Amino acid sequence: MNINALLDEKAIFIPLTSTDKNSIIANMIDGLAASGSVSNKEAYMDAVLTRESTGSTGIGFSVAIPHGKSSGVAKAGLAFAKLSTPTDWQSLDGEPVKVVFMIAVPEAAEGNEHLKILIALSRKLIDSEFREKLMAVEHSDQLKSLLATIE
Amino acid sequence: MKKILAVTACPTGVAHTYMAAESLIKAAKEKNIPLKVETRGAVGVENEFTEQEIAEAHAIIVAADTDVLESRFAGKPVVKVAVAQAIKNPAGLLEEALAKQASAPVDFAKQVEQSKSERSAARSGPYKHLMTGVSHMLPLVVAGGLLIALSFIFGIEAFKVEGTFAAALMKIGGGSAFALMVPVLAGFISFSIAEKPGLAPGLIGGMLASSIGAGFLGGILAGFLAGYTALFLKKNIKLPRNLEGLKPILLIPLLASAFTGLMMIYVIGEPVKAIMDGLTAWLTGLGTTNAVLLGLLLGAMMAFDMGGPVNKAAYTFAVGLLGSEVYGPMAAVMAAGMTPPLGLFLATLLAKNKFTKEERDAGKSASILGISFITEGAIPFAAGDPFRVIPSIMVGSAITGALSMAFGATLRAPHGGVFVLPIPNAVSHLGLYALAIVIGTVVTAVMLSVLKKPVEQRNQA
Repeated sequence: MNINALLDEKAIFIPLTSTDKNSIIANMIDGLAASGSVSNKEAYMDAVLTRESTGSTGIGFSVAIPHGKSSGVAKAGLAFAKLSTPTDWQSLDGEPVKVVFMIAVPEAAEGNEHLKILIALSRKLIDSEFREKLMAVEHSDQLKSLLATIE
Repeated sequence: MKKILAVTACPTGVAHTYMAAESLIKAAKEKNIPLKVETRGAVGVENEFTEQEIAEAHAIIVAADTDVLESRFAGKPVVKVAVAQAIKNPAGLLEEALAKQASAPVDFAKQVEQSKSERSAARSGPYKHLMTGVSHMLPLVVAGGLLIALSFIFGIEAFKVEGTFAAALMKIGGGSAFALMVPVLAGFISFSIAEKPGLAPGLIGGMLASSIGAGFLGGILAGFLAGYTALFLKKNIKLPRNLEGLKPILLIPLLASAFTGLMMIYVIGEPVKAIMDGLTAWLTGLGTTNAVLLGLLLGAMMAFDMGGPVNKAAYTFAVGLLGSEVYGPMAAVMAAGMTPPLGLFLATLLAKNKFTKEERDAGKSASILGISFITEGAIPFAAGDPFRVIPSIMVGSAITGALSMAFGATLRAPHGGVFVLPIPNAVSHLGLYALAIVIGTVVTAVMLSVLKKPVEQRNQA
């Protein structure tokens, strides 16, 4: 599984210094636009915030996975941010979030390959060992090697 | 073990759907709960539940923010939550699902129906053809056998006096219904193989089998012969377009019937007649020991797969013999087919603490099925605990079969369970026959009660 194919350097923020949910999301979307994944920032932002309002993407364990499916997404992509300050995300367990994965899903079905990659990542987030390593990442290379371990 | 199903779905379909699934799977593993998760995500539906799985599930967790076709779960207990809940508290959801009250007993009968129809659908090949023949033959045997028995109300020889009501009954039952038995068996075996073109040669072959004295065995052979001949002709005769119509109406009936008929008269008929004569003589002259052994065998076969091929083999054997006026095995077979569900019902009464409430309710339904000679009533219990249930019912049925043969009980009708017993002359040695059924039921119940563990210990199994 080549997760790293979906994760561009420009979309990795270690650390990200923003301290509120909305600016974190905005910064990460900028990263996705820079990497060519997002073609229309407003449309995609809309999708992400809408999803967020139906139910928080703070799944607990200090992890959040904001995501959106939008015509403003040119190709599937991932963004990662390690927050310098743990931020409230109205998470399921009430705890602040330290690590954010943002997922961009294109509207039209471009084939399931990329979706499967994103699904694999989602599944892995349930594994506590994986999460601990994720929290400990200091550099984008470490992140990439960690992600490469996902089958 | 209670099986739980869970279906997860979220709008975007890449994250929560699968995280919920992972969460539930992880929690289920820790608690040792059998769980299957269907995911409905952006890549489509994975691990979709089969009807069988839904029917066998104790409860279903729906952790979804979008539609998951809930109508599938009608009648089953459902725990419905938002998909995020499954990520947050999978253990709690599983506990909630386990604690749900079981479905009403009405669904037990539905479960049995479903098992039966699935088995029916799964049959293929020669077995399916044989069963088609048998199922078409059965009503004839039921009606014929009972009418003959009724004629005996007027006295065993009463039918011999011309013009009496008894004679009329015997003419309908023995002279007509029974006379059609073997031709219909052969005809529909052949029909199953070759469809309409097979019917005529099959009927004819069966009629010949009957008149030659080759009995139901001859009928089975005639049916297969006619069927495969007709099929062969159907596939291999090539005619110009405008003559195609002649095939099913003239050529196949003529050629297949001629071939089957000639084979029956010159080749198959006599040897099979000899076999049937030998078999009939052997069965009527059975010394008690051999009769008991036969009863043991037939009984065990009836319980082994409760309506499956082994059961059906014993059953068909017994029914076929009715046409040759051998009535002992039929009694043994029906009695042995009644004791599995009856024994299970009795077990749920004797050892209440070893059965869940669900099972005790199911036991009540099983009792009705048992007295009606629907052996399949035992299947749901056997499916849940095969290594204890199947030996228990086999032992009980074998004993019943043996006792029935030992007591010399005979039965003229191939079905009906307890409802056929009061019909005069349908059963001989009625009291002892009923006793045989009771004894087998008790044996099964006691054996299972001893083998089963109390419910609290079950989950450690």
